[in-house]
Amino acid sequence: MKRLYYGLGKKKFLEWIFFAVFVLFFYGPLMNMVVLSFAGDYEYPDVVPTSYGFKWWDYILSKSQMVDTIFTSLVLAVVVTLVSLLICLPAAYAIARYKFRGRSLVRLSFLLTNAFPKMGIYTAMAVIFYKLNLMGTFVGVVLVHIVNTMMFMVWIPSGAFRTVHVQQEESARDVGASPLRVFFRITMPMAWPGIVVASLYTFLGSMEEAQGSLLIGLPNVHTMPSELYGIIMSFPETAGSVFAVILLIPSLILLIVFRKYLSAEALSNGLKM
Amino acid sequence: MDKKKVRPWMPYLMVAPAFTVMLLVVILPILNTVAQSFSTADGQFTLANYQYFLTSYEAFESLVFTVIEALSTMLLAMVFSFLLALYLRFSKSGISRIIGRLYLLPRFIPGIVAVYAVMNIIKDAGFINRFLQLFGIMYKPGLLYDMKGIVICNLWFNIPFSAMLLSAALSNVADSYVESAKDAGCGWGKILTKIIWPLVYKDVIVAATFILMGQIGAFTIPYLTGPNNPKMLGILLYQQVNTYLDYQRAAALSVLMFIICLGGAVVYIKSNMKEEAWQAGK
Repeated sequence: MKRLYYGLGKKKFLEWIFFAVFVLFFYGPLMNMVVLSFAGDYEYPDVVPTSYGFKWWDYILSKSQMVDTIFTSLVLAVVVTLVSLLICLPAAYAIARYKFRGRSLVRLSFLLTNAFPKMGIYTAMAVIFYKLNLMGTFVGVVLVHIVNTMMFMVWIPSGAFRTVHVQQEESARDVGASPLRVFFRITMPMAWPGIVVASLYTFLGSMEEAQGSLLIGLPNVHTMPSELYGIIMSFPETAGSVFAVILLIPSLILLIVFRKYLSAEALSNGLKM
Repeated sequence: MDKKKVRPWMPYLMVAPAFTVMLLVVILPILNTVAQSFSTADGQFTLANYQYFLTSYEAFESLVFTVIEALSTMLLAMVFSFLLALYLRFSKSGISRIIGRLYLLPRFIPGIVAVYAVMNIIKDAGFINRFLQLFGIMYKPGLLYDMKGIVICNLWFNIPFSAMLLSAALSNVADSYVESAKDAGCGWGKILTKIIWPLVYKDVIVAATFILMGQIGAFTIPYLTGPNNPKMLGILLYQQVNTYLDYQRAAALSVLMFIICLGGAVVYIKSNMKEEAWQAGK
């Protein structure tokens, strides 16, 4: 330790300690979970499993109910993202381009899901969904997931659209492009990074949403996070870890694929009006 | 040319789908909640639901517990994330670049997965306990089912979250500002308070309000890691619905929690509106 301290110099030494603390705090728990998921024998007080294997993977993957939740969650997230894009992008564009009465009010309304207690909204939602026969349906859960991340889907693309100059759109119109063609060929490609980030928020938000799916989706729609609640309570940590790691995989893949769009600046846009 | 005379109903048409969903799925239920909170189970007007929470000792305890938890999470997260963001902005070392890549990930890890991962570390038979036994130390952290457990899990999420917001803000602080201040003889203390702070305080407010609002209604983390008594407001609300099936009381509690959040929201909107005025001017 002493040799390390003098070898690296005080500043470097402190920086390495900081790095170690950072990695241990943020990545230690995740790494521990991945290790546990491949455990063979893991008895108290073993620090790490004494043998490894796919025992618990087999166990989880042999339960058809759990495999079903994986598919439900993935399909749900895709549907939620697509529908959300479809209904939110026009709104985002209108808010970015046009001045109309009530614009701030509309824009602010998307903040509501973050200010009103979620559990309160879901309970009240359940009352209305009962009347509309949406309880326990796929559509009902899709709606819940959409409103949860609508703020990102409206605010981030809206900010992105604002950076596209009107003149660029107008010149395309002048040479005869239809409004839709202008949108898909000029505006959308330029606003693309913002749209990607917003879609990521929506997709991953849908993958992790548990409370709403529990209240609105049960008993017919089981998603991975809502299933995980039960698993945490009643399964050993090795089995739970397998399921949690599976839930982690889509996030990791998406983040790696789209890493060039993810900067602190791009991600913060959705939180400011 | 025809761009000039945009049909006035155009923007409304474009906003309509998104706003309709919002109206049906969020705004109407919220209005319904407010109405419910003032009524008895058979529809009579009453203030009893509010009276219950305003006079109940249990609710008061929960409120105090939640406020303490929310404030400590907020303060700790802000301090650590501010330091982290400063480090990421002003250190040019390789380590800083690696951390700059790594710190964004927790924002996108499914909440319940992360809570589970942290639980397996800090619970009494968890990693910390097992690891220390290697050295013959029998230590039970006692963090789980306690306020500390909730705060630790929340820090895991909120430090990266607010560090992200603050890093974005700090990228507005040009090197030249800092260098010229240094040339003029300013120490780091002065640079921090006179140059960096004015440029980022607005984002500090945004981050702090989001953390606070999130804590008031928080459910997943306290449900899995928190104590049974006193409990967070989010759990108290869940109980009204799930255990007592008392929707009117649940409604009243939702409204009360919303009012608490509203304080934060007002600060947030105010600090954002200033930006609006500046943008309108350009």
